[in-house]
Amino acid sequence: MKKIQFKIYTIAIVFAFGLGSCKKEVKPSTAIDDQSALTNPGDIETATIGTYAVLRNATYVRSAHFLTEYQGDNIAQGQPSSDDLSRCYRYTHIPTGTHGANFWKQAYYVIVAANKIIAAIPDNATADLKQLKGENLFLKGMMEFNLVRVFGRPYVQGNGANPGVPILKEGTNTTSPSRNTVKEVYDAALSDLLKSAELMSVAKSDIFASKEVAYALLSRVYLNMGDNANAIKYADLVISSGRYKLLQGADYGSYFTKTPEANAETIFAIRYTKTEDQDFGAIGSMYYSGTPGALSTPGAQGNTGYGEIYASQQYVTELDKNPADLRHSFIAPYKINGVQQVNTKISPNVPMYYVTKYNLQEGIANLSSPVYLRLAEMYLNKAEANAKLGNVQLALDDVNIIRSRAGIPVLTVSAILAGKTILDVVLDERRLEFAFEGQRAYDLFRNNKPMSRNYPGTHALNNTPNTNITQTILPTDARVIFYVPQYEIDNNKNLTQNP
Amino acid sequence: MKIKSLLLLGGVGLLWLNKSQAATIISNKTSLGHAYVKAMPADDVTIKGKITDKSGPVPGATVTLKSNPGIGTSTDGDGNFTIKVPANGILVVKSMGYKTQEIAIQGKTVFNISLAEEDNNLSDVVVVGYSSKKQGELSSSVSVISAEKLKGVASNDVISMIQGKAPGVVVSSASGDPTSAPNITIRGISSINGGTAPLLVVDGNILGAYGSEGATYSPNDVESITILKDAAATGLYGSRAGSGVIIVTTKTGKAGEAKIEFNSVVGFNSPSTGNFKLMDSQQLYDYQKKFSNPNPAVLNTDTNWWDLATRDGMTQNYTVSASGGTEKTRYYVAGNYYREQGTVVNNDKNAYNLRTNLSSQLTKKLKLSLLLNGVFTRDNYANSNSLGDGYLNLPFDPAYNMDGTPIDPRITPSWLGRDVENFLHSTQYNLSYARSLNLSADVNLDYNIVKNLTFSSYNRTTFYNTFAVDYYDKRTKEGGATNGSLYNSTSYKNRLLSSNRLKYENSFGENHLTVLAVGEAEKSYYDEANLNGKNLPAGRPVMSTATDIISNPSGGTNEYNFSKYLSQVDYNYAGKYFAIASFVHENSSRFGINKSGGDFYQLGASWILSNEQFLKSIKAISFLKLRASYGTTGNAEIGDYPSLGLYSIDTGASYGGLPGASPSQKGNPNLTWEKQKTANIGLDIGFWNRIDLSVDLYDKRSNALLFFVPLPSTEGYKGYFDNVGALKNRGLEFNLTTKNFTGEFKWETNLNMAFNRNTILKLTNDKDAINPGGSQPSAVGRDIFDWKMPIWAGVDPNNGDPLWEKVITDADGVSHIAVTNTYAQATRQYTGTSASPKFTGGFTNTFSYKGFSLSAFLNFVYGNEVYNNSRAYFDNDGLYESYNAMVLKSGWTRWEKIGDVATHPKPVLGGNHDSNQQSTRYLENGSYIRLRNVTLGYQIPENWLSKIKISSARIFVSGDNLWTGTKFSGTDPEVNLSSGVSSFRYPLSKKVLFGVNIGL
Repeated sequence: MKKIQFKIYTIAIVFAFGLGSCKKEVKPSTAIDDQSALTNPGDIETATIGTYAVLRNATYVRSAHFLTEYQGDNIAQGQPSSDDLSRCYRYTHIPTGTHGANFWKQAYYVIVAANKIIAAIPDNATADLKQLKGENLFLKGMMEFNLVRVFGRPYVQGNGANPGVPILKEGTNTTSPSRNTVKEVYDAALSDLLKSAELMSVAKSDIFASKEVAYALLSRVYLNMGDNANAIKYADLVISSGRYKLLQGADYGSYFTKTPEANAETIFAIRYTKTEDQDFGAIGSMYYSGTPGALSTPGAQGNTGYGEIYASQQYVTELDKNPADLRHSFIAPYKINGVQQVNTKISPNVPMYYVTKYNLQEGIANLSSPVYLRLAEMYLNKAEANAKLGNVQLALDDVNIIRSRAGIPVLTVSAILAGKTILDVVLDERRLEFAFEGQRAYDLFRNNKPMSRNYPGTHALNNTPNTNITQTILPTDARVIFYVPQYEIDNNKNLTQNP
Repeated sequence: MKIKSLLLLGGVGLLWLNKSQAATIISNKTSLGHAYVKAMPADDVTIKGKITDKSGPVPGATVTLKSNPGIGTSTDGDGNFTIKVPANGILVVKSMGYKTQEIAIQGKTVFNISLAEEDNNLSDVVVVGYSSKKQGELSSSVSVISAEKLKGVASNDVISMIQGKAPGVVVSSASGDPTSAPNITIRGISSINGGTAPLLVVDGNILGAYGSEGATYSPNDVESITILKDAAATGLYGSRAGSGVIIVTTKTGKAGEAKIEFNSVVGFNSPSTGNFKLMDSQQLYDYQKKFSNPNPAVLNTDTNWWDLATRDGMTQNYTVSASGGTEKTRYYVAGNYYREQGTVVNNDKNAYNLRTNLSSQLTKKLKLSLLLNGVFTRDNYANSNSLGDGYLNLPFDPAYNMDGTPIDPRITPSWLGRDVENFLHSTQYNLSYARSLNLSADVNLDYNIVKNLTFSSYNRTTFYNTFAVDYYDKRTKEGGATNGSLYNSTSYKNRLLSSNRLKYENSFGENHLTVLAVGEAEKSYYDEANLNGKNLPAGRPVMSTATDIISNPSGGTNEYNFSKYLSQVDYNYAGKYFAIASFVHENSSRFGINKSGGDFYQLGASWILSNEQFLKSIKAISFLKLRASYGTTGNAEIGDYPSLGLYSIDTGASYGGLPGASPSQKGNPNLTWEKQKTANIGLDIGFWNRIDLSVDLYDKRSNALLFFVPLPSTEGYKGYFDNVGALKNRGLEFNLTTKNFTGEFKWETNLNMAFNRNTILKLTNDKDAINPGGSQPSAVGRDIFDWKMPIWAGVDPNNGDPLWEKVITDADGVSHIAVTNTYAQATRQYTGTSASPKFTGGFTNTFSYKGFSLSAFLNFVYGNEVYNNSRAYFDNDGLYESYNAMVLKSGWTRWEKIGDVATHPKPVLGGNHDSNQQSTRYLENGSYIRLRNVTLGYQIPENWLSKIKISSARIFVSGDNLWTGTKFSGTDPEVNLSSGVSSFRYPLSKKVLFGVNIGL
C-alpha cells in the first residue's frame, strides 16, 4: 500500500510540474517569421512576388481605378449610390472617403514592402538580386507617382511647389513623416525609376517589371511634369526596344480579354489569375453584366455584375463619328431582342452602353488584369510632347499610327479643324484610345483644360434643378485631387489636409 | 503563527514537503489543541459523534462547549468529530446554512446529530473555481443561477438564458437568428482589443472564452451556473479571467431509485417588428412623387417583401433523462433534441445532445468520474439576401410570375428595385448550412492520499469538427456569374487539457484550513481547409462535379498552449472570519517570447457579523456578512500569434500564380498579459429570513491593455499589438430577493440591477484617443463607447436642407457653434451619449398557489444610444429611390415647404447633401424594458397521476419577448452592447411555448 501511495504521489508531482513546464513558442502555418524572411536570395525572390501581391490587392487596384477614372467624362454613373465611388464621380469628396483611404494605405504598404527588399540588397549584388531590387524600386516609383497624382495638385500648377505625399526612404523609419512637395515626390519617383531601369537586366513577362517597363513609366512621369524631351526620349526607348507591338484588327478588338502574358502590346499589367477573380467586387462588375450561359452577350444589370457605370453619351458620340472605329469593341450596347435598352433611372433617359475593358479574361465574367502601361501610350505620349514642342507633323504621325490601327482615316495637318490645336487632336485621340484606363482627367488637367461633362449621369444631381446635366470642373478646382485620408491625419499629426 | 506563514508561503511549498514534514505541521497543530484540553477539569469525557444532514455527512461543522466556546473542534470529511468536554456540558453544533443545535451531553459519549437546513440559500454548495463552498462562506462576489431559475426562456444557448438573471452580467444580442450566439460581458468592458467574453469553465475544467469554443453541454443538462465576478473568485483562472468566469456544472445522479424524466416544449415563434414599418406601394409612390416621377403603373403591384422574408417558425425541445445510482456509483444519462426555426425563411437550428455522467467510488480512497458529451448540430442559414431584400425590395416589384413561380428579376426588364434580386427565386436552389460535431470526454480522478490530503487529476479532450457548405446554383443570381459555385470549408479542432490538484484540508479547533496546489496545461490545435469550386451542373452541390476552382485552396493550422501553477490558501475561524489568498503563475504561447509568463495574486476576506454575539440579539437581522477582496487577473484573448513579426505566405501573398511572402504583422516580442486589478467590497444582509440583499461595489482597473495600436499606413502595417494604456470600470450591483408571501399563496420578487462606469485612464504614444477618427474614439477620460460624430442640427426651414453643427473657433480662441449644410464641413463632436447603458437589470415575480405557479421576468437596459445604421438605406431623403423606405415614426415630419420645422429634410433624387452620412440623426435612444418571459405552470396532483403510474407531471405555457417598451424606431432596440450599432436587424422572436415535464 505504501508503495502505491508513493507512486501516486510521484505521479502527482510529475503531472503537476512536468506537463506545464514546456515553454514553447508556436508559429502559424500560413506565415513566416519576418526576421528570416529576407535572409537569402530565394526568400528575397519570394518576398518580391509578395510586393506584387500587395499591389494586386483589390484595396489598391479597385480603389485606384475609381479615384483615377471616375473623375473623367468617358463614363456616366447610371444611378445614385452611397458607395464612395459616387463621390469620386460627382466630385463630392469627403475626408473619410473609403477609396482614398484604401488607395493611400495599400500604396504605402507596397512602398514599405519594397523598401524592406531594396534595403536588403546592396547595389553590387548579383545580377539576379539587382533585378529584384530594380523591380521593387519600380513598384515604389510607380506608387510614388500614383500617390502624388491623386493627393497632390498637378505638377504644372506651381511647378510642383504644392504639398504632395510623404516620401519613404528605404532603410529608415520615420514614424510620422510629413508631406513632401509635389516636385520632391516626382523627383523621388524619377530617381527610383531611373535606378530601377539601371539595375534590371532580365526581360521578364509583362506582369513583372523590367527595364522597358521603367522606361515606359518614366515617359509618363516626364509628360506629366511637362518635360517633353524626356517624355519623348523614354517613349522612344520603349518603342525601339522592339519588345512590344501594337495589336491589329480582331486581335486588337479582343485586347482586354487576353491574359497579359499573351498580349504583345501590354508593357505592364497587374495580373489577376483565374483563382483571384473578384466577381462582384471587381472593377468590371461596375461596368458590365453578361447573360448567364452567354457571358459575352450583355445582360440585365445585376446578372453577373452591378453594371451601373456606363460609357458616357459624350464618349459614344465621339466614337460614333467613325462607325468603323475598332474601339467600338470596348463598349457593348445593352439590347434585348435587338432593341437598345435605355436607362430609366437618370433623366433624360439614355441608351445603355456597357464598358468591356475589365471583363471576360479567360472567359470569366468579372476577371481582368488591369493594364497599367501599353505601347499605344508611348506613341501618344510622344505625340502630346511633340504637340507641345510645336512639332505638329511629328505629333500627327504618331496619332495616325494609332488611328490607322483603329481602322479610321488618318489626319493631315491641313485637315485639322479650325479652332482645334494639334494638342486638341492628340488629346481627342488619347481620349478615344485610353478611355476607361484612368488617363482622361490627368490628360486634361495637366494641360490646364477643364473637364466638361454634358451628358446624363448622376453628376447632374449636384445641380439645381437636377435636370441640368452639365458639369464643368476647372483644373484649378480644389477637388481635382482627393483629401488626405482622415485616418492618416488622425494617426500622423504631421500630415496636413488638402483644402 | 504557523498558519500565517503558510498563508504567505502558499501551497506550492506544501507539495515539496515530504510526508513526515507534513505530519510535523499537523502534529504541531494537534498539540496546540491538546494544550487547551489539558487545562480543563479532570472529569472530562471523550465524545465521539457524526453530524449529518438529509443528504449525508456534514464536514466542517463546528462543535463547541457552550460554557467555554474556547473548547471546540470541527467535523472531518466524513462528518465525524471527537471532543473532550465535561460530562455535564452542553454542545453547540453550528454549520453554515443549518439551524444551530444545542445538545446536552448528560453522560452520553456517542452522538449522531442531524442538522436541519435553514430556509435560505446560504447552505447551497456553490462550485467556485477549483473547489466548492457553501454560498454563505464565500469571501468573493459570485452569482449563482440554479437549473430552476434557468427555466423559462427557450434557447439552446445557456448564455441567452441568463440574461437579466444576475446583476452585472450583461447579455445582449443583435440578432434573432437561432444559429447566432449573444454577446456577454461581466462588469463592463475591461479590454480594448482583447476579447471581452468571460471564460467558460465546464465541470471543473476550462473550456475557453465564451464563443471561442463550441458548447460541450446542453442547457438541459445544466445543474447550476456560477458567475465569478471579483478577483478573489476569478483569480485562479489567472490570465484568462479578466472578463469574469462562468462556471457551468452539469447534472449528476443521486443515490436512490432510478429517476426517469421526460420534458417536452413545443411552441411558435413570430418576428417582432416593434415600432418599425415599411411603406406599401401607395405610401412609397406618394413619397417618391415628391422628388421624382414614378410611373403610376407601379401601383398595380403591392408586394410585402418583409412578410415574404419572415415567417412564423416552430421551436421544439425534447429531453429524456435517467439518473440514479448507489452510494458508490451514480449516473446521469440524457438525450436532447432541440429545433428552432428562425423567423427569417430557411433559417433553423437543429441540435442533438447526448450526455453520460458516471462516477464511482472505486476504492475507499479512489473516485473515478467519467463525463462524456456529444453535440451534433446542423445550422441552416438564411439566404444572404433574404433579410436585406425584406427590408429594401420595392413593393412595386412583384415576387411571383403569373404561374406562381418566383420571378427572376434578371430576366424581367420591368424590375425597378436596385439590387435586381428576389430571394424567393434564389432560395429555390441555393443552400447554406453547417454541420458540427463536438465531443468531449472528461476523466477525473480523486485520490485520498492520506487523511486530509487529496490528489485530483482532471483531464479533458475535446474534438470539434465542422463542415460548412454554401452553394449558389447556376440558375440563381448569386451563382449566375460563376455558372454555379460551391464553397466548402472544414475545420478540425482538438484541445487537450490536464489539471492536477493537491488539496490539503484540516481543522484545528475553530481554525479551518484548506490549501490547494494546481498544475495545469492546455494545448489546442485548429486546422481548417477551404475549397471553392465553380461550373457546377444545376442542382448538384457536390465538389466532385466541380470542373473548375474559384480561388486557390486555402487553410492552415493554428496552435496555442497555456500552462500554469497556482496555489491557494483558504482559512476560516469559527465560521465567522474568512480569508483566502492565492497566487498564479502562467505561461502562454500567445505572448512575446520575452514575456510569456505572468504572475497573478488574489486576496479576500469576509466576516459574518450575524454569527457574533452582539448581533444575535437583533432578531430582525437573520444574516449579515461583509466581504472585501483585491487581486489581479489577466486577459489572453488576443488571437494566437499577436506578438510575432510575420510575412504572410497565404494565397493573398501570391502573384501571377507564384507563391510569395508579404509583410503582414509587425512583431512585438515584449507583448505580455493584460492585467486587471479588481477591488471589491460587498455586503450580504438578510432580514427575518425573508429579505435577502447583496450589494457589491467594485473598482476594476485594466493595466497594460492589450491594444492594437493603429499606425499611419506609411509604417506599412495597420498597427501592432502592445500593452498600453489603462482603463477603469467602477460599479455598483445589487440583488434583492423578497418573499412577500410565504403561506399557501407564495409570492417572491427578485430585482437585480447593475450600474457600471467605464473610463479610459491612459494611452501611450501621446494619443488622446484610441481610434480618433471613429464614431467611438475611446478617448482618455471618457467611456470607451462614447459616441463622436457630426451633430445633426435639424432641417433648414427655408429650403429643407440637412444641417449639421460646425464648430468655429474665432481669433480669440472662443468656439462658436454654427450650422452647415455641407457634410464635409460638419465638426465631429462628442454627442454626450454613449453606447454603454447607464444601468441594466432584471425583475422577476413568482407566484404560486397549490399546484399553480406564475412567473414574470422583465429585463431592462437604460441610458444607451444605438446607431441605427440601416436607416441610411431606407430613410435617406431620396438617395436610394430604388429601395423601399420606412414609414416615418410618429412624431417625425418631412420638410415640404418654406417655413416647415421638420425632422426630415426635403427628399431630393440622388440624396439631399449627404444627409444619410453618419451623424446623430441616426443615433437613437436604446433604452428598453422587455417582458422576457412569462410562464404559467400547473403541477398535476399526485393522486391523479398514481392511477397512470406517473410520479410527477407539470404542464406549462410560457411566452418569450411578448412585450417590449422602447422608443427605438427599428424592429428592436437590443444590439450587441459592445458595438451599439443596429444594422438590418434580424427580428427578435416572440415565442409562445407549451410544455410538459413528466417523471416516471
